Amino acid sequence: MLIQIVLIAVLLGALYVTWRRARQNVITLSEALLWSVLWIAAGVVIALPQTATLVANFFGVGRGSDFVIYASVVTLFVLVFKIFVAMEGLERKLTEMVRRDALRDLPKKEDAG
Amino acid sequence: MRIIAVIPAYNEEKRIGETITKIQPLVDGIVVVDDGSTDATFDAAKRTGATVLRHAMNRGQGAGLKTGTEAALRLGADVVVHIDADGQHDPSFIPILVDPIKKGEADVVLGSRFMGLQPEGIPFSRRVLHRAIKTFNSLVMGIPRKLTDPQSGLRAMNANAAQRLDFRQDRMAHCSELLRLITRSDLCWVEVPVKVIYSEDTLAKGNKNLDAVKIAWQLFLGMFSK
Repeated sequence: MLIQIVLIAVLLGALYVTWRRARQNVITLSEALLWSVLWIAAGVVIALPQTATLVANFFGVGRGSDFVIYASVVTLFVLVFKIFVAMEGLERKLTEMVRRDALRDLPKKEDAG
Repeated sequence: MRIIAVIPAYNEEKRIGETITKIQPLVDGIVVVDDGSTDATFDAAKRTGATVLRHAMNRGQGAGLKTGTEAALRLGADVVVHIDADGQHDPSFIPILVDPIKKGEADVVLGSRFMGLQPEGIPFSRRVLHRAIKTFNSLVMGIPRKLTDPQSGLRAMNANAAQRLDFRQDRMAHCSELLRLITRSDLCWVEVPVKVIYSEDTLAKGNKNLDAVKIAWQLFLGMFSK
C-alpha cells in the first residue's frame, strides 16, 4: 500500500537524521535512542498494523487504529499542558522584569531607614 | 507606625485622584502602581503627590499589589494596606483594619464584606460567584471555611507578614493564593467587617462570573509553576 511505503520512507529519513544529529553532538545518545525507539515503533505499527491491535487489546481497546488515536490524544493533551505551564513560567519571569523596572528608582531595603 | 497604602491601578484616570485624596489623611504614605494603563492614570496619580510606580506593561492586579508591597517595604512601611483604586472600598475602614496590627493582636487583617455590614448593590449573580469560590477555596485550596470573605481586596498586614507572603499569581487568583499562604502560615490573622460599594462602573470592570473558572485554572497552573 502506498501510504505505508511513504510513511516508512519518512520514518527512515527521521531515523537517519536522528543519528546524524547524534554524531554531530546536537542531541545526546540517550535522546537519539529515545527518538529511534519512537520511529521504529511507529514503523512497526505502520508495516504490521495488527501489532497495534495486540497492544490495544492489552489496554482493553478493541481496534489498533482506535488505540493509536487515543494514545495520540493523551500525548497531545500532555504536550499542550506542558506548553501552558511553560507559558506561565515565562509570564512570571516577564512580571519579575516589569517589577524590577518599576522599582529601579526606589532605594533597596537595606538603604531605607 | 508608618502605614503605607498600596493601590494597583489599571486605566483608572477618572477615579484614582479622588480615591487617593480620600485615603491620604488616613495613612503616612501611598504607593500607586500604574499597571501599564493606556490612559492618564499615571499623571492623575502623580498630581496627588503619591509615590507612583509604572509597570511597563499590564501584568494584572496581583502583580501590581506585589510590586506596590515591595515598594512600601522599601519606603519603610510598618503596616501595608492593600486597597482598590476604583473607590469601591470605603477608606474610612483603614483605621479599623490597622488597629489590630497596632495593638499587636494580629499580623494580617482581612476586610470581610460578609460580617454584618450589608454591601450596597451587590448583585445576586455575584453572591453565587462568591459562594462558588468559597467552596472551591475550602475543598481544593484548603482555606478554612470560617473565613467569611473569599475574595476581599481590602487588607492590612505588618511588615513581617508583607515580607513573608510571597504570592506569585499575577492576575485575579492572587486573592485565593494569599488566603492560602496566610491561613497556612503561623501568622496571626483576623477578619473585620468592611463595607463595599458596588456601582455599575466598578461592576463593569470587576470580576465577571466566568472568572471563577479562570481563577481555578490559574491556581491549577500555579501548582505546576515555580
